[in-house]
Amino acid sequence: MSRARGVAMIGRRETLAAMVAAFGASAFAPLARAVAYKPDPVINTGPPAPVFTAAQRALVAALSERVMPTTDTPGAITAGVPAYIEHMLGDWAIDDERATIFGGLAAIDARSMADYRVPAVKATAAQQDALLTLAMNDKLPGATEFFPAFKQLVITGYFTSEVGITQEREYLPVPGEYDGAYPYAKVKRIFSA
Amino acid sequence: MAATDRFDAIVIGSGISGGWAAKELTEKGLRVLMVDRGRMVEHGEDYPFDGKPAYEIPARDKMPAALAKRDYFALNGWVSPSTQPFFINDRLNPYDYDAPNKFNWVRPSVVGGKSLTWGRWSFRWAPTDYEANKREGVGVDWPIRYDDVAPWYSYVEKYIGVSGGKENLDYLPDSEFMPPFPMNVAEKWLKGRLEGEFPGRKLINARLSNITEDKPEQNRTRCQKRSQCSHGCSFGAYFSTQAVTLPAARATGRLTLRSDTWVTNLEYDPAKKRVTGVRMVDAKTGRAEVVQARMVFLCASAMSSLHILLNSRPKDSERSWFHSNGALGSAVMDHIFRVGVQGEIPGMTELIEYGRRPGGVYVPRFRNLKTEELPFKRGYGYQGQAFRQPAMVDGFGADMKHGMREYGPWKFSMGAFGECLPYDDNRVMLNFNKQDRFGTPLLRFDVTFRDNEIKMMDDALEQGQLMLRRAGLVNVTGGRGKHVPGEAIHEMGGARMGRDPNTSVLNGWNQAHDAPNLFVTDGAQMASVSCVNPSLTFMAMTARAADHAIKQMKAGVI
Ligand SMILES: Cc1cc2nc3c(=O)[nH]c(=O)nc-3n(C[C@H](O)[C@H](O)[C@H](O)COP(=O)(O)OP(=O)(O)OC[C@H]3O[C@@H](n4cnc5c(N)ncnc54)[C@H](O)[C@@H]3O)c2cc1C
Ligand code: SF4
Repeated sequence: MSRARGVAMIGRRETLAAMVAAFGASAFAPLARAVAYKPDPVINTGPPAPVFTAAQRALVAALSERVMPTTDTPGAITAGVPAYIEHMLGDWAIDDERATIFGGLAAIDARSMADYRVPAVKATAAQQDALLTLAMNDKLPGATEFFPAFKQLVITGYFTSEVGITQEREYLPVPGEYDGAYPYAKVKRIFSA
Repeated sequence: MAATDRFDAIVIGSGISGGWAAKELTEKGLRVLMVDRGRMVEHGEDYPFDGKPAYEIPARDKMPAALAKRDYFALNGWVSPSTQPFFINDRLNPYDYDAPNKFNWVRPSVVGGKSLTWGRWSFRWAPTDYEANKREGVGVDWPIRYDDVAPWYSYVEKYIGVSGGKENLDYLPDSEFMPPFPMNVAEKWLKGRLEGEFPGRKLINARLSNITEDKPEQNRTRCQKRSQCSHGCSFGAYFSTQAVTLPAARATGRLTLRSDTWVTNLEYDPAKKRVTGVRMVDAKTGRAEVVQARMVFLCASAMSSLHILLNSRPKDSERSWFHSNGALGSAVMDHIFRVGVQGEIPGMTELIEYGRRPGGVYVPRFRNLKTEELPFKRGYGYQGQAFRQPAMVDGFGADMKHGMREYGPWKFSMGAFGECLPYDDNRVMLNFNKQDRFGTPLLRFDVTFRDNEIKMMDDALEQGQLMLRRAGLVNVTGGRGKHVPGEAIHEMGGARMGRDPNTSVLNGWNQAHDAPNLFVTDGAQMASVSCVNPSLTFMAMTARAADHAIKQMKAGVI
């Protein structure tokens, strides 16, 4: 009696989910798909689904900071770029695209071990720059597509972040006016879109 | 809704046309029920991303590709997380076509319709646009001419506020303008060079339903140059149902608005030749009811209105009441699109733009205006803008970072909108083998572009690049994609106006030949499509039809 009411109350999707889970890996594909089906589209606004191992995550952070370093304005790490990259790979990328990044990270690590006898994350900033330069110049087998993809991720993540939009660039939330002949010399910065 | 409720008129759809119908009819004394399938969006309160920079928008306002592909495939790049809440989910609301004849049907999912997300480019038609069908023997003749609509253009423009520059061009009549958004320095340079190299061709200010002067009586503030209009604008600085027509209709106290309510069909009395009711389904409860009124304004957007009309049919018949002459659903059109050209404007590198204009510049139609000797009929216009992007710097590290504080050169890019012809066999129909979640057969598209459209796209590509090169731009490039009908988001036709009840669906007052108490005032009415953006014309025609409807009602005719 109470069990029947419980089932009725948890609704169709949960019931199905509970049942399909019981089949484990042998769940019939259409059933699994029905469970996965969400009537409303969802964009992940929470923390990223983990994609990297701890070591990969640390390397991504270190390399993104080399690409967009802290100078007179904050760099990639302060801007939250590493999490952005993980978010992109977890929620957007498909397998091939993830492989480009994973492969590149592995190649950089391997070369770092060979040249400096430490994993890339432990290499000095100058050594990391040298490794990235090799990747950029196509001199790192397995990492040829890595550099442009990684640079794009860093730049996009940075210039859509609060740091990028309001500190590195000049943001006008409500400009009010438009001037189509404004001297660059007055700001010496890029106005954020 | 209580059974005691009595409405003089029902307006179906609350978008650009429906909002105008509700405003005009309520202001003229009628008790109006406006229904929309979409959810309620209140002005200001329900614009979650108004004023928000990218870092406060999910996914930094980049649509996850997989989600776009799965649920928003018709939008083909139009949608981002900030606008997605305003658009319909295509997966849950399917429509039908045969694979080679794809149609990208862009549909809103909110009260306000596409008025919240549209681009706001607003132009009057020219006299020649209303005459071309007759002159060329294409489609059917318009039962009206420019002079019939001109006062209604003025009426609408004064109310909503259209910014633009007076040009005195006979092929692009001026509106009642507020001052235009100024051109930037590079556009002014280009204007001089282009008009010098090509006498007769013009580069003019965009004409936009974004106001450049306050309208305090409407509680609207002039545009603040933020260029994020499709998030919704709580300044009310651009025309939308929420900012303009809905408050006016509500202020009369005679409007009832029902959101989340899908109209499936109209009930019809063939003996009296009248629409007797509107069948609607509550999207939340699934409960259906028929609501009656003395007249109906059908403003569900062109293709949705056709869907409703096609599905208004006798029991056990697949043929609509309004299909007596075979015209319903035929001669569906969309503008040509997917032709773009760009190049670099040399010099002026010490100057940049301050503020973000919501529009740019326009090159009005220059083809087939005086003589018609080209291998295609009609013409196209170009919408564009000059802009500067941050420099892209090679390498990485501090040098790259600081290098990106400079701008690249001025660039100019523009895209063409061109006129497609009304072909009788470009049609939509019902597919009785597939139904949507309200039991309505799916709308099925059979619309393709023909030789005339292809030739026009080729010409637009060639002329666009030629203009930029001869004006002195460098690194000029251009491209022409395959145009999938629907992509220009200017779908029109299917219930065209005409003089002859045997070949058209509506008369010159937007009244159905088969039911004088039914008015269709959205894009479905169009007998041809000009090459300019259509919505201002929908507004003018809706206001005109409402005025006529009231007169007929008072005269006891309907
Ligand atoms: C991104 C974009 C840019 C655009 N730019 C421009 C531009 O610059 N200039 C221009 O002139 N035009 C532009 N357009 C086109 C413009 O939006 C349309 O021409 C205009 O919105 C059509 O007005 P409408 O009232 O017919 O339809 P809509 O504004 O689409 O309103 C129709 C309403 O009817 C409702 N509805 C539909 N079916 C049903 C049903 N069965 N039951 C109940 N309700 C229903 C819908 O939910 C919707 O609210 C653009 C469109 C888009 C999407
Ligand atoms: S650019 Fe103007 S109309 Fe657009 S959102 Fe900003 S203030 Fe509103």
